[in-house]
Amino acid sequence: MKNYDVFIIGAGSVGLPLSYYLAKKGKKVGVVDSMPSHGRGQNKAAIGGIRATHSDPAKISICQRSIDIISKMEEEHGLDVDWIQGGYMFPVYDEAKEASLKGLLVKQKEFGLIIDWVSPEKIQELAPGISPDGLRGGTFSPNDGSACPMKLADAFYILAKRAGVDFIFNEEVTEMKYEGTSITEVITSKSSYTADLFVNAAGGNAREVSALVGLDVPVIPDSHEAGVTEPVKRFFEPMIVDMRANENSANYYFYQNKEDQIVFCITPEPKYYGKDMDNTSVFLPQVVERMVSLYPRLRNIRIRRTWRGLYPMTPDGFPIVNFPENFSNLLLAVGMCGQGLMLGPGLGQILAEVIVDKSDKHEQIFDQLSLYREFSGNEILK
Amino acid sequence: MDRITNHPVLDQPEGRKLVNFSFNGKVLDGYEGEAVSSALISNGVKEFAIHKVNDNPQGIYCANGQCSHCTLIIDGFPLKSCITPLEEGMKIKTLVHIPELPMDETPMGKTGIKNMKCDVLVAGGGPSGLTAAIELAKLDFKVILVDDKNELGGKLLLQTHKFFGSIADCYAGTRGIDIGHKLEDDVRSFENITVLTNASIVGVYKDQKAGIFIDNKNYILVEFDGIVVSSGAREKSLVFPGNNLPGVYGAGAFQTLVNRDLVRSSERIFIVGSGNVGLIGAYHGLQAGIQAVGICDILDKVGGYKVHSDKIKRMGVPIYLRHTVLCAEGDGKVERVTIAEVDENWHPLLETAKTFEVDTLLIAVGLSPVDEFYEMAKSFGFKVVNAGDAKEIAEASSAMFGGRIAGMEMAQLLGKDVEIDPSFLEKAEVLKSHPGKIIEREAPVLNESFQPVIHCDQEIPCNPCTSVCPKGGIELRGEHNNIMDIPYFTDDCSGCALCMGICPGLAITMARKVDGQFAEVVLPHEFIPNFEIGDKIRLTDKDGEVLEEAEVVKMRFNKKFKTHLITAKTTLENAAKIAGIRVQDEAIVAPLENADFNYFPEEALVCKCEHVTVKEVIDYIKEYEVRDVNQLKNIRVGMGSCGGKNCSTMVPRIFGMAGVDYKDVTPGTKRPLSVEVPMFALINEEK
Repeated sequence: MKNYDVFIIGAGSVGLPLSYYLAKKGKKVGVVDSMPSHGRGQNKAAIGGIRATHSDPAKISICQRSIDIISKMEEEHGLDVDWIQGGYMFPVYDEAKEASLKGLLVKQKEFGLIIDWVSPEKIQELAPGISPDGLRGGTFSPNDGSACPMKLADAFYILAKRAGVDFIFNEEVTEMKYEGTSITEVITSKSSYTADLFVNAAGGNAREVSALVGLDVPVIPDSHEAGVTEPVKRFFEPMIVDMRANENSANYYFYQNKEDQIVFCITPEPKYYGKDMDNTSVFLPQVVERMVSLYPRLRNIRIRRTWRGLYPMTPDGFPIVNFPENFSNLLLAVGMCGQGLMLGPGLGQILAEVIVDKSDKHEQIFDQLSLYREFSGNEILK
Repeated sequence: MDRITNHPVLDQPEGRKLVNFSFNGKVLDGYEGEAVSSALISNGVKEFAIHKVNDNPQGIYCANGQCSHCTLIIDGFPLKSCITPLEEGMKIKTLVHIPELPMDETPMGKTGIKNMKCDVLVAGGGPSGLTAAIELAKLDFKVILVDDKNELGGKLLLQTHKFFGSIADCYAGTRGIDIGHKLEDDVRSFENITVLTNASIVGVYKDQKAGIFIDNKNYILVEFDGIVVSSGAREKSLVFPGNNLPGVYGAGAFQTLVNRDLVRSSERIFIVGSGNVGLIGAYHGLQAGIQAVGICDILDKVGGYKVHSDKIKRMGVPIYLRHTVLCAEGDGKVERVTIAEVDENWHPLLETAKTFEVDTLLIAVGLSPVDEFYEMAKSFGFKVVNAGDAKEIAEASSAMFGGRIAGMEMAQLLGKDVEIDPSFLEKAEVLKSHPGKIIEREAPVLNESFQPVIHCDQEIPCNPCTSVCPKGGIELRGEHNNIMDIPYFTDDCSGCALCMGICPGLAITMARKVDGQFAEVVLPHEFIPNFEIGDKIRLTDKDGEVLEEAEVVKMRFNKKFKTHLITAKTTLENAAKIAGIRVQDEAIVAPLENADFNYFPEEALVCKCEHVTVKEVIDYIKEYEVRDVNQLKNIRVGMGSCGGKNCSTMVPRIFGMAGVDYKDVTPGTKRPLSVEVPMFALINEEK
């Protein structure tokens, strides 16, 4: 049996940075994952968008931190994570969406986000060749960007290793023992671990892990599909998000990564609930038709690979970050709703401040992302 | 243009139209409809692209649409030149680094999903797929047969040599190319088989559909009840410095260029790997007028059939066993290849290095099954059967027979009451046998009338000589009681020489005693003779040792077998030992004297798509304690256009070099698409 100050379940988008920031502050940290290496759950399925462009103060502030951390990763640690500050662009083709985004803009600016409404001409300048038919303009947040999910996972993994974090792979958590309000031991398929604090950062498996201590956490994964093209000479900078819903999908988005490949993802409607990540024949024609219609220039690019990934969704589309009331030594950092990659670094840093430095500056985040909230809101920019 | 205009076995295609095209502004010509890559190679072009890493030159590699090393800018678009048909007036340019996506503001045209339905989808129209489709069609199933080439037959079409096996089960003694055409005719005679050519399966999906990219412009979703995966094999790659130089390519690519497209791609070749593919590669080269300088193999015995290697040695191609390739070198293309002996740990002994001047290095170090569609279909719980090389690497003779069984197995899975004769399964096992024991045999005593002298001395699954003899004068003897046994002449011969003509190994001669001093030996010769009656030719024993120079006294051409029958007047003493004619002299195959070479093994490329070196992979494995192949994607291994098809066979060795036991490593994940597809095709956009 091994003992740690903090024991994290999940070596993914959230667990990796958290482990690093805790270890950096002197904590002895263990991280367990059922996969054979770090970032092999949903981290690897992310397409790489990093934005602070959200509709609420908690995620905006967390992601602003993430952007700060990721953009300095190479400068501070010599680790290239393919960061590109290309911005996020939401082109708008209908009146209702224009009104809704312009309304949101006011709030977003209040929360400190750098974002503006831009003209159709500006949209076409940012994405040369994008369809001008009915284009009304859109929002553009220039500080957002993208990074390679796998390289980001690698960066936090190596930083964590150097800071002394123990990683335990190929072990599935099968049992969590608890006495009263205190969790005493985590038992895995191969071994067992004790710690002062246990963190559930299990991503798509968050609900099952929570159930081990009898806690129901409303995280239900649904599956989204993504793909990547061959590389072509860079011709647009921002992540382009088309929010128009149609009969089979809610939205889709794409950008050109540092390898000059276009990476894209679609949100199917109705949702595919569950953990099935096998490809179906539906996805490609669906997403491609939307992309070529928006951006005809893409018709000649070749698609290289496709995959599915899970969005661990909560009922309102916001994460759950909480020390549950009936336990004295459990932290939930779950339900990232497909945004673990962009939330993870900032959240990791903040949680380390809370855990180690007992910082009380982040009450607003804990209030907003509480397990005990109503879950009645609705994240517009899911 | 460097074309093969005179081939001993292949006929010149008729009615081809010569067209002009430009390459980097220079006007060249080629045949309309042939692969752009072949047209370029016939014009001496070797460099197709300049890779973004270190401006490395890049040439063709697979010639099979699988990798994308032959990508060029054709009329403004990046296209794989090995699967793009040449058209008059094409403007072709070298691809420098990555292509530009042309501006295109035309709104999206009409789009749609194309659907098809069948009982059984047969994935691959090579030897096993063709026979499986026929079997299923006979049982009244509605079959869709898909193949990525424009002609059915798969690798059969590249085989100019006669096949092993038995006549009844797999057309033994007939040339592969002729078998391919015969099977294609059979398949096309069935109304319930729909053939889709120029059609690549790019994914098998969970909703029991396969996505098919067809004619470079459309996408069809095929719904099926069962799927037969007969998608063949891909060639394994090899890690050595210079493995990315233009002029290093797979033996299959060479066969495609030389035998399918009749392009004289090389002057001088060296071959790594002594399996049947490598041995045949040398033979095909010689038939095309290309010098085969040597074959090396790291193992201490020849991997292929001995009759093949004996034949190659008789022609004058040395086989270097316990030798590995150290490096390929040259200024932007292969100019020299250096090999060296290996010690008991397979480490090269640099002091034994030999350097050869060649322009092409063929990699023939084995095949690995194209099994991803099978694995995918199986994981989804579909009714699936695999066949041919996609199931197990073996000769095409075995694939043809195995395809029939696969067809019957699929019928059973679909609920048809079909019985598979147990003897079929036994035969299938025999046909895929590896070569067995070598049996020494005594040279026969000759008399005045012609008799066959059999030089076949290794157990292989082959018996056409026994079937073809009108007198029943050749029988198999041995412990197997099947076609693995070895043929012996039983004293009854009409002198018809059919056995000699049909023998795939060219391992039968006809000989007779003329008098106490001289004899006549008739030798099968699959080359265009460069000698005439009255000339002296050098004759060798079975293993390629020159025994004597002898006068040609008679020359005939057997049209059926497309084989010249050369009669030489020899000494009686050697006559029964003489097995072949030397076609290539020693000076051609000699290594360079005092050649320099550079050997930096860590600079060899593991991933040829993204140009990741051995050193980079080893360093990464060590620093990140990698135990999961998927992690290598972080340094781009497996992220290129081939999707890990080429590097996956090399990765285990690299883990070994990094001190990691591959048993502890989780293998990589494969995902669709298996071939890159342009967006317009996926939605069948009408332009």
